[in-house]
Amino acid sequence: MKSAVTTVVSAADAAGRFPSMSDFESVKGSFDRAKARLEAAEKLASCLDKFTNLAVDAVYQNGSYEQTNKDKCVRDIHHYLRLINYCLVTGGTGPLDEWGISGMREIIRIQLLPTAAYIEAFIFIRDEIKISDVMSQQAETEFKGLLDYLINALA
Amino acid sequence: MLDAFSRTVVTADAKGAAIGSEDLADLRKYVADANKRIDATLAITQNVSCIAADAVAGMVCENTGLTQPGGHCYPTRRMAACLRDGEIILRYVSYALLAGDPSVLEDRCLNGLKETYLALGVPTSNAIRAVEIMKIATVAIMTETNTGRKMFKGINSGSGAQCQDIAAEAASYFDLVIEALS
Repeated sequence: MKSAVTTVVSAADAAGRFPSMSDFESVKGSFDRAKARLEAAEKLASCLDKFTNLAVDAVYQNGSYEQTNKDKCVRDIHHYLRLINYCLVTGGTGPLDEWGISGMREIIRIQLLPTAAYIEAFIFIRDEIKISDVMSQQAETEFKGLLDYLINALA
Repeated sequence: MLDAFSRTVVTADAKGAAIGSEDLADLRKYVADANKRIDATLAITQNVSCIAADAVAGMVCENTGLTQPGGHCYPTRRMAACLRDGEIILRYVSYALLAGDPSVLEDRCLNGLKETYLALGVPTSNAIRAVEIMKIATVAIMTETNTGRKMFKGINSGSGAQCQDIAAEAASYFDLVIEALS
């Protein structure tokens, strides 16, 4: 799975060379950012249920979506937030790409679920929930970056 | 290919659980030890020829028949192949050490290695002995317990004594190679 380290190792292996000084620099660069990522992952893991429920309740309370889909929406939002938690740990978008985004559009369409509701829920998490209450600003930036990535992929 | 981070992710996904505080403790240590890990990897990359050549020489010294006509390291072409393989194994060990996970070593180097050696008629017992010597040499250089001068220049000022844990991890990767050839 793609991460800063595996990308560097793959490139070195393709060239048949040992890791070089610039490889070490790039690995080190990713480690320097790792603290914020890991904090975001930790805090997100503890708030996963809370964020999911807040978002889905907000989206479904105005009645523009069929209430029967609500529990499926809860399940999927929870799933996506878990994948974001994984992305924060890996430091790349690998888990979302491989397990969440490829094939996703087809599955959502087949189940006749409204994609718009998902997008609305993620936008709610990004804009309405006070994420800064639970994590530091740097961690929040990492988390929101991935939310944006997911919203763009769904749209 | 996995690294320490993606290994945690794959394990968590199998359980369908998010990664919380407990699982993150190990990763935080991996991040905190980044400089030591890079130094330990440098200890390998700066001494590749030395480690591989010494190991092959040691293997031959213990088994002088290898370089005699009819031996497995005769003529020099076969001896050169032996040195080359030593360097390749070191290269994959250095990748695994940097990634903090043996998957790259297993997938790209060890998978099918024994079968290849058997097909080519390489005596695996001698290959294993060479890997053992590489393991001992690598750990000694990493922890600065080798006789003589310090053999590598790290990027942080820390001494080799701080590389103990990581040297143990490197030794475990050499053990995987030995296991794969046994």
